[in-house]
Amino acid sequence: MAGREVQTVQDVRRHRDARRTGGTDIPVIVRTILSAMRMTFMNLFRKPVTVHYPDKTRNYPDRYRGLLALVYEKDTGEEACIGCRLCEYVCPPAVIKVEMLKSEKRNYAKSFTLELYACEFCELCVQVCPTDAIVMMKSFDMPTTDRRELLLDKDRLHTIGLSFEQSWATGNKLRDMQGPPKAARPVAHAPAAAEAGKPAAEGTTVS
Amino acid sequence: MSESVMLVLVPFIVMNAVIGIVTYVTLLERKFAARMQSRIGPYRVGPHGLLQPIADAIKLMMKEDVVPTAADKPVYNLAPIVFLVPCMFIFATIPFAPGLGVADLNIGILFFLAISSMEIVGLFMAGWGSNNKYALLSAMRAVNQVISYDLPFIFASLVPVLLAGSLQLGDIAAAQSGLWFVFYPVIGQLAFIAFIASTVAAENRAPFDILEAESELVAGFRVEYSGMKFALIQLGEYTHVLGSSFLGALLFLGAWSGPGPEWLGPVWFLIKAMFVFLLVTWVRWSFVRIRVDQILALSWKALLPMTLLLLLATAFVVVWRTSGGA
Amino acid sequence: MSIAAPGRVEVDYAGSERLTMNMGPQHPSAHGVFRAILTLEGETVVGVDAVIGYLHRCHEKLSETLTYAQYPSIASKTDYVAAMTSEFAYVRAAEQIGKIEVPKRAQYLRVITSELQRVASHLLWLGTWCLDLGGALGGGATIFLYCIRERELILDLFESLVGARLLYGFYQVGGVRYDLPPGWAKTCRETVDLIDSRITEYERMLEDNPFFMARVQGVGYISRELAEDVGIAGPLLRGSGVNFDLRRADPYSSYDDFQFAVPVETAGDCFARYRVRMVEFRESLKIVRQALDGLPEGPISSRPGLKSVAQTRIPKGEAYARVEGARGEVGCYLIADGSAKPYRMKWRGASFSNLAVLPHIIPGHKVADVVAIMGSVDPVFGEVDR
Repeated sequence: MAGREVQTVQDVRRHRDARRTGGTDIPVIVRTILSAMRMTFMNLFRKPVTVHYPDKTRNYPDRYRGLLALVYEKDTGEEACIGCRLCEYVCPPAVIKVEMLKSEKRNYAKSFTLELYACEFCELCVQVCPTDAIVMMKSFDMPTTDRRELLLDKDRLHTIGLSFEQSWATGNKLRDMQGPPKAARPVAHAPAAAEAGKPAAEGTTVS
Repeated sequence: MSESVMLVLVPFIVMNAVIGIVTYVTLLERKFAARMQSRIGPYRVGPHGLLQPIADAIKLMMKEDVVPTAADKPVYNLAPIVFLVPCMFIFATIPFAPGLGVADLNIGILFFLAISSMEIVGLFMAGWGSNNKYALLSAMRAVNQVISYDLPFIFASLVPVLLAGSLQLGDIAAAQSGLWFVFYPVIGQLAFIAFIASTVAAENRAPFDILEAESELVAGFRVEYSGMKFALIQLGEYTHVLGSSFLGALLFLGAWSGPGPEWLGPVWFLIKAMFVFLLVTWVRWSFVRIRVDQILALSWKALLPMTLLLLLATAFVVVWRTSGGA
Repeated sequence: MSIAAPGRVEVDYAGSERLTMNMGPQHPSAHGVFRAILTLEGETVVGVDAVIGYLHRCHEKLSETLTYAQYPSIASKTDYVAAMTSEFAYVRAAEQIGKIEVPKRAQYLRVITSELQRVASHLLWLGTWCLDLGGALGGGATIFLYCIRERELILDLFESLVGARLLYGFYQVGGVRYDLPPGWAKTCRETVDLIDSRITEYERMLEDNPFFMARVQGVGYISRELAEDVGIAGPLLRGSGVNFDLRRADPYSSYDDFQFAVPVETAGDCFARYRVRMVEFRESLKIVRQALDGLPEGPISSRPGLKSVAQTRIPKGEAYARVEGARGEVGCYLIADGSAKPYRMKWRGASFSNLAVLPHIIPGHKVADVVAIMGSVDPVFGEVDR
């Protein structure tokens, strides 16, 4: 580009001065001014779209990515988390820290901290969890004046899990939704939309 | 009551009433604008936002008064006052009911127009004294614009003067007891439209608010003001808008004439002034602004010739009427 | 008077004083953080120096430390207004190197979300441009709020699909992460029809408006030669008469299955770019309808669901993948070395290249036009500074 002129200030000026003005066609100008004013006037009578939060909340969809929480297993009531640390490794901003506690039948998480103030809410931890232990809630209602309150430990995560409504997404459901069709499935792959929410027939994924 | 006491009491009452109405007019504008934009406007402070202006006033009074170190201190500090005082003066000549006003001068409208042109001095003082390029640029634009639009404003206001035959505002209002001037065929409507257009421009309201263009000059000449000085400037602006609304209601919409008993007159006057104000607000929230050279072109090439011709036509009509025509 | 070095123009205003004014990084119409040092003669701009870099967050270095599974949700943060575009470029690059097939249904879902993102981004553009033209308290704000009201409908659609409203993480190498929930297609069609009618309202409100036309016509002229030389893309290019749209020129992700028109205007001014974007609205909505009608069944990803962070390994190779974003060509140049993390990744930001045209077209205009021009260039500084 050096040295070669492709556009000069004269070009700019020529175009600026040769613009088609609306003309001084008075009836047109009057009509358009009135039509713009009529549009804003019509809007006076449309219902405002304001939602009076926090008195009313809107309906959050099923897949809403809200607060994170740890849950208990449905049948035994024990903590679902086995301390495998997969969520810690997948988290892009590395906000999860887990320590495993080995035990005879299964492992547990000795400590589980999640720094919610740095969390991106990308749902990757939910995606990789093998036991559906970490999930997201359908709410983000946790206003606080102190950032330290957003450093969630295991107890707080379990409390959140019991306080709010859980979103649709869990690890197994997401992995089933994403994988290619299972080889053992007898029927041609049914629409994935209808399968949302139903776990895979075999419960294992082909890797 | 003795004369001297009345002389002090009436302006005091009028000034306080004006300030009270002005603060609530800001709330009216905000709610009206919000409804036009599919939202609600102030809602939480007081029932349906009715205490919002008071909250704003208290907040502005409590804010720190930041003065730039390199500002021209006397000019900078005096500017809000020089801006506000003429804006409040214009209410001196407006009669709110026959015989009820501060001073129904027999040169009423001339006083109004002359005093309202003095705000430009305060505006320029604010822009210059701030020692800020944005403020300076905006003040230069402001001087251009307000001076250009004062002329069509004067000529459009002179049409009712000619039709009524007097400069006194009380007489003009009384002359509309039969037919409001805005309903006069062609002349009345054109004069009203020209009045509204030039008042919108002379008050630096959108679409002619190039001097406070938030997206270019941030706040224009007000950019270095904070706290109570900013409140004074805001008060001055809205007082001017309200004063022009009252003037428009008086000149064109018949002031206090309306159905009902005599004492309802000031109420009708207020309602008509609010109507003019809402008209100005409606225009503000419907259009994008135009550039300063286009604003000046509109004034000198369109509005001024139009109002001059209108004045000439009105003069012809008045002469034809008084010399025995219909 | 030639433009020897962009940014400094010798204009023949002899004897008058020049004023250097800073449209600084904190400015209501800077569209982000952008500093333009304007040299003014009275009201006319004679020189522009652009300073960027206030939003630099080291995306390219960050991508070397994150795996192919983790980075797409971070990629959203470059062009945060149309976030999925950046994710698309990244995963396409990875898929090109690894020769990974993307199933047809995933391609259609990618097209639907890309076009919806384009509509949402253009709605935001229209709103903020009118805001700049008309002021935060004034007619501009009215149109801004209308556009935001419509954009909220699209964001609601994304919320029911993905769970997030602004920054998604919807794409992954091999396909997409989420499938349509029940009832989404119906809601999408209704939203598309509603937005179509509302756009007609906005066009009517703006286009015959003498104030708007006076601000916008003849302003910011980019000649065809300048457009091709400087390397801008997107609506800027098509507003100057160059018929180049990546969806036609280099079709990807089944775009050649759809019928749509590519708007081209020759006037080269702000009004031409505005017309291009308004037509692009309608064409994008057409594409969404066609994609919904023809949505095939099938898997949404050719890779199994993500189970661990280093699951996706891309063999050695390099590729440059580009996508037609709302602002132009968003490109991702990726060098993979066989592990789960890229060796090097470089973004071609659409807005970064588009901003390069500013010093050529602004001198000669007034200060108020600077804002109109910047708005019609539509930069997003996440893309510029990365």
